[in-house]
Amino acid sequence: MSIKHSVTYLQRFLLLVLGVIAFGSLQAQTVTGTVTSSQDGSALVGATVLVKGTTTGAFTDENGKFSLNAASDATLIVSYVGYERIEVPVNGQSTVNVALASSESTLDEVVVTGYSTQRAKEVTSSITSVKAENFNQGNQNDPIGLVQGKVPGLQISRPGGDPNGAFTLRLRGLSSLGANQEPLVIIDGVPGANLQTVDPNDIQSVDVLKDGSAAAIYGARASAGVIIITTKKGLPGRATMNYSGFVAVESVAGVPSMATPAEFVQYGGPDLGSETDWIDEITDNAISQTHNLSLSGGNAQTTYRASVNYRDQEGVAINTGFQQLNARLNLQQRAINDRLTIDMNISTTNRNSQFGFNEAFRYASTYNPTAPTAQDPNSPIFTNYDGYFQQINFDYYNPLAILEQNINEGNLKRLLVTGRANFKLVDGLSVDAFYSQQRTNELFGQYYDKQSYWVGADRNGLASRTDNESFNELFEGTLKYAKTFGKASLDAVGGYAWQEITFEGFRAEGGNFLTDAFTYNNLGASKDFLDGIGSVSSYKNNSLLISFFANASLNIDDTYFLRASVRRDGSSRFGANYQWGIFPAVSGGVTLSNLFDLPAVNILKLRAGYGITGALPGESYLSLLRFSQQGSFFYDGGFVPAFGPSRNANPDLRWERKGEFNIGLDFELLDYSLFGSIDYYNRVTSDLLFNIPVPVPPNQAPNTWGNIEDAVLKNSGVEVLLGYKFKRGDFSWSPTFNFASYSILLDTTGVTGSDFTFFRGGQSFFDFSTSPGAPGLNSDPSVIVLAGQPIGSFWGLTYTGVDENGQVTYLDLDGDGIAGVDAAGNVDDEDQSVIGNGVPDFSLGLQNQFKIGNLDFSFFFRGDFGHEMVNHYRIFYESPGGSRSVDNILISDFFNPDLKSTPLFSSNYVENASYVSLDNASIGYNFPMKGSAFTNLRLYVTGQNLFYITNYSGFDPNVRWADTVDPFNPNPLAPGLDRRNTYFRTRTFTIGVNVGL
Amino acid sequence: MRRYSIVAILLFGLFVPLANQSCTNLDEELFTELTSDNFPQTDDEFISALGAAYTSLYGLMNHNALFSAMEVSSDEAMIPQRGADWFDGGQWLRMHRHEMNPNEESILGGWNFCYNGISNCNRLVELFEGLVESGQVSASEAAGFIGELKTLRALFYYWLLDVYGNVPIVTSFSSADAQPATVLRGEVFNFIVSELEANVPNLTRERNGQTYARVNYYVGKAIEAKLYLNAEVYTGTAQWAKAAAAADEIINSGLYSLEGNYFDNFSTENAGSSENIFVVPYDQVFAQGFNLPQMTLHYGSQFTFDLQQQPWNGYCSLQEFYNAYEANDIRRDGPVSRGYGNFISGPQFESDGSSPVIDPSAEANDPDGAQLNFTPAINEHFPNCLRQAGVRMGKFEFAIGATPNLDNDFPIFRYADIMLVKAEAALRQGNTGDALALVNQVRARAGVADLGALTADDLLAERGREMFYEGWRRQDLIRFGKWTGTWDFKPASSPNTILMPIPANQLNANPNLTQNAGY
Repeated sequence: MSIKHSVTYLQRFLLLVLGVIAFGSLQAQTVTGTVTSSQDGSALVGATVLVKGTTTGAFTDENGKFSLNAASDATLIVSYVGYERIEVPVNGQSTVNVALASSESTLDEVVVTGYSTQRAKEVTSSITSVKAENFNQGNQNDPIGLVQGKVPGLQISRPGGDPNGAFTLRLRGLSSLGANQEPLVIIDGVPGANLQTVDPNDIQSVDVLKDGSAAAIYGARASAGVIIITTKKGLPGRATMNYSGFVAVESVAGVPSMATPAEFVQYGGPDLGSETDWIDEITDNAISQTHNLSLSGGNAQTTYRASVNYRDQEGVAINTGFQQLNARLNLQQRAINDRLTIDMNISTTNRNSQFGFNEAFRYASTYNPTAPTAQDPNSPIFTNYDGYFQQINFDYYNPLAILEQNINEGNLKRLLVTGRANFKLVDGLSVDAFYSQQRTNELFGQYYDKQSYWVGADRNGLASRTDNESFNELFEGTLKYAKTFGKASLDAVGGYAWQEITFEGFRAEGGNFLTDAFTYNNLGASKDFLDGIGSVSSYKNNSLLISFFANASLNIDDTYFLRASVRRDGSSRFGANYQWGIFPAVSGGVTLSNLFDLPAVNILKLRAGYGITGALPGESYLSLLRFSQQGSFFYDGGFVPAFGPSRNANPDLRWERKGEFNIGLDFELLDYSLFGSIDYYNRVTSDLLFNIPVPVPPNQAPNTWGNIEDAVLKNSGVEVLLGYKFKRGDFSWSPTFNFASYSILLDTTGVTGSDFTFFRGGQSFFDFSTSPGAPGLNSDPSVIVLAGQPIGSFWGLTYTGVDENGQVTYLDLDGDGIAGVDAAGNVDDEDQSVIGNGVPDFSLGLQNQFKIGNLDFSFFFRGDFGHEMVNHYRIFYESPGGSRSVDNILISDFFNPDLKSTPLFSSNYVENASYVSLDNASIGYNFPMKGSAFTNLRLYVTGQNLFYITNYSGFDPNVRWADTVDPFNPNPLAPGLDRRNTYFRTRTFTIGVNVGL
Repeated sequence: MRRYSIVAILLFGLFVPLANQSCTNLDEELFTELTSDNFPQTDDEFISALGAAYTSLYGLMNHNALFSAMEVSSDEAMIPQRGADWFDGGQWLRMHRHEMNPNEESILGGWNFCYNGISNCNRLVELFEGLVESGQVSASEAAGFIGELKTLRALFYYWLLDVYGNVPIVTSFSSADAQPATVLRGEVFNFIVSELEANVPNLTRERNGQTYARVNYYVGKAIEAKLYLNAEVYTGTAQWAKAAAAADEIINSGLYSLEGNYFDNFSTENAGSSENIFVVPYDQVFAQGFNLPQMTLHYGSQFTFDLQQQPWNGYCSLQEFYNAYEANDIRRDGPVSRGYGNFISGPQFESDGSSPVIDPSAEANDPDGAQLNFTPAINEHFPNCLRQAGVRMGKFEFAIGATPNLDNDFPIFRYADIMLVKAEAALRQGNTGDALALVNQVRARAGVADLGALTADDLLAERGREMFYEGWRRQDLIRFGKWTGTWDFKPASSPNTILMPIPANQLNANPNLTQNAGY
């Protein structure tokens, strides 16, 4: 399908919208009523009344009254937190009064399962739903931060306090070797939507589809799990206005423990006569503020919610942070007796980011602490570097100068527009058309000052601009069917989706400027372009995904549940004969507590499912032999562009497939006070996508993107979610505990020979992914992927101590008399072994919420256990006799003043990094507002990242799920590497207010 | 009710395209790359396609590639471990000590470099053969291009023959064996001989702007000369006469001659050198890859040459090798106007010529103190070689303000080399007079006195002085029987190291490969 066709869709869609407006004057029957508590007859304020099978609904007002339009044969679903949800047929009446019985069951909550919703008690797969009231508190700038630690099995990690840094997500460990590792994000029905199109304040719920049977409805992109984000919508009734705002103060909480000036000199460092705390010089307390204003309401035909969010965030490193404005409008209009519903959502985000330079963290840690920040005015090079102190050394730069002289900024714009039309054809059957467009635009600018010794001075100023744009267009048509047959009810969805994603952009970089005045804003003034050494590039690529999908859920008497789904996905990214794949799933559940009378058990449900999902390669066109410019050819006295193969083509490229079995138990015990779920999963991923080493010759390049045939990835684990509710009078306590274990194994059972290895030998990409790096350790493997071993294994010599000469000694593993390193400095390969693993064995989360009257208090502990981490600062800067004298020394618990060895990776630097952190503690007060114009007023104080309990000597023990030595190509096969470019760890205190009108 | 059905029809209208085949069409659309459907089509595009075979050569001088392996294993170059710098798994220490193993990065890099070029040649030969078959190009028109590509391919196979010995031979792009088997060194030699015999005669004998940096008849003869010069090493049977004959064709063509100034061959603008037979036409913009300033210069040298990036302080030469030059040999320290010769040695100054370059990280035990001073003496190989120790590779001019990619063209075959090939072939056949005359021509240009007599050792030494850092030293040491001997920081080594190992990950990926003996 060409772009022309999709425009036709848009035109048809607009025609449809116009048609709807023409029919909009038609009215439906108005139903009014009151919702009360069956215990004391009191009115329930804010209860939800929904017309079954539609999105039509209303909140009850302050008197418990509601009013909405419904067909005379419609059924109303009435729900309220803490009460049992019930369904009431309208039966042609205009007044429907409802009394709700109180319930403590959490299984009445609505769970979003993809193309449909279910009540938690109907769910047959592993799905965790987190509602807004359970989100993490405080300064949350990323939607994913709201649920960090709340979803067992969903690992969310962001080492350091970079305000512009993204979280790394892993669901149930690593799902692939070379394909995408991050869960598919769906925002209001748009798969692959950008998280930055939604402000955390606008989110109603986050639902995580964890197992294969839940995720398979998203087929080809679902192997790493699915995260469904649903934004807040308006409901009919009184118009409401909410303001929330906070001020946050962030300070440095974790940095490398470098030597003081006196210690530095004591261990032989050159004394330059000053005392400078470089880490302190480049950091400062960061003050941030956020304001959110939302308006919502509506009548029987139209509901709306509009919000504006402003965030001004500083980072603790000087000159880092961002300012972001996000605006969202969610509109719904009903017509034709509520048979037609139109939803329109528009969200726009504009962010200006100041990224800074992460290199400054390393230099701040290692720069000579006796050096002054400013150059001596009498120095011959005083005028050279804007007066900053600089010393001419390899890889040695004044970190303050880096952050103050140079600019690294970006302007990020996101626009997400969706439109949905749903028309009820006959009772229980509706047709739904959905269109969405997401546009992202990132414009970066960098400028390195003419006087910047780091980068810039040698180029006489260096400027670049980079523009990256993406366009994501989706059309989707679905038929939905819901029918009740006696005690059984059936929900079914079938549909077609067409999605095209296009990336394009350009970049230009040039140096040699007359003046610094233009920074990156006037590339034409770069003399490099006149001299022919400026660089310019542009690109465009796209991909298509076409899908047919269906699912059906059967509920028999709320006791037996069955669900089946199938998706047929076609992707343009595969070889012509392998583009289409089928992803089926089936799951079932039985509520045992309805069959047997179990003492103290309110609900006990057993469920199990199996589903197949897929994964796409990370880029387009891999199946084709393509030609791109390979340098220039000297032809007839001048250079002409030479075009040769871009990379090896693989016409047999096909889907990576993951089969996953999940069995789980949901329970509510002791009068609903104790509740939870337990899940066990077992995944096998085959046809693994990877950039596989291939023979040269006959291949031109040493690696080809293909499917690994002789190994599978096996993941298994247990997840537990446990909650308790205690309430006595005004006091309530609700602890929630979660646990998840991980096992990730590369299995080659059935493959002859056990030398299936990646990364042995010196492949070129190896230097930059799994060695400690420069200086001197570019070629020393630190991570290995070995058959039969867990992913994330560290590889190296076993450290045994330091001898009398200050030289490190190693274990002679093979007993050949060479203990680790021979006299010629060669590492004895046979003395190397697996010396740790960067993936945790299990994770824990513990939330405690207390309420006493209007006062509430909560704290949240989070921890990962059983993982090791390689402390790269230690490798390079711990040896007083083996490092460069000009580099500062790291004085950790492992410091040995007698060490004289030059750095070499070994088990000495592999440390247990298990930790527990007090991630979040919050205290709040809800002022009583009865009789005032306000509906609520809340004041709160939150602390984030308050402290860590760990034996790890580095400053941040959070799991490194991917190696970030190249931040643009994180390597998921090398977890656990604590690199030297990590943003320092921070602690945040927030004071905030929520006001409702 | 009827009005509502209009809405239903409108909604169903959205589904109508489902029946349309385009809605399941997953053809990929390319925007920034070409495929064989649309490339090459025009004359210019054919030239561009042909270019890929030549741009394969640009990786020759990269760090960690073929040149690194050939040079660091010889007695003219080394990369010592300078404290925390340059250990890199010990590979450069091993390479210099001839303790290399199949995992060395440069050994894999060299292998991939050669076969990448071969793959491009194979693909393009097939392209031109296809054009002949389909009648788009006449056989005679295509023959020149095919001959040129096959001769260039022979050069890549020649490097494989020389460095790895026993290697697979692949001559097809589209229908090659997925796991081609090792071919013994002697057969690889015969294959190259037959390729050259079949194709070189068809090549142009022109030497002009059009053939610069292209394979012409004399490039083919230069490959032949080198092939036969080392025939005894490759096959056990010497073929001195054939080496001499090939060299004679070049010499007698009258197209090439010795430059008056040795360093004009290596200057930034050396394209006009009368000695250039075949070059990689490196360019800081168009033909990047000659990273010598990064590889050899000290960090502080950035200020000597106003370099656009800080160098890495790695490669240096050996004291013994430096001392093998006579003091008045212009090739050693260069003319005063140039400031350095084949080597950069002694105290270093900024580009103003007077401000000393200071190295604040100079070791306390560095006898020359903090001013950057490249001493011929090297205190140790590892682990604590002084950061300033060792003379640096100055043969190729470092232009003031150079980027990491030099503009100097790199001579793969140079006339002086061919003269010395001829001299050696003559000497080996007992014609010492001819040999001496040729050697003395080369010496005279360097400002050193004529030799009165010539031994094999004299010739090897002269080749070393003249051909320093042009990639021939390893081969020369082997041919003269010196490879297994000792030199600075190198113990005696096993004869098996005459061949480099087959890269380990190629053995892993292709079970039909055989490792060379002794690895």
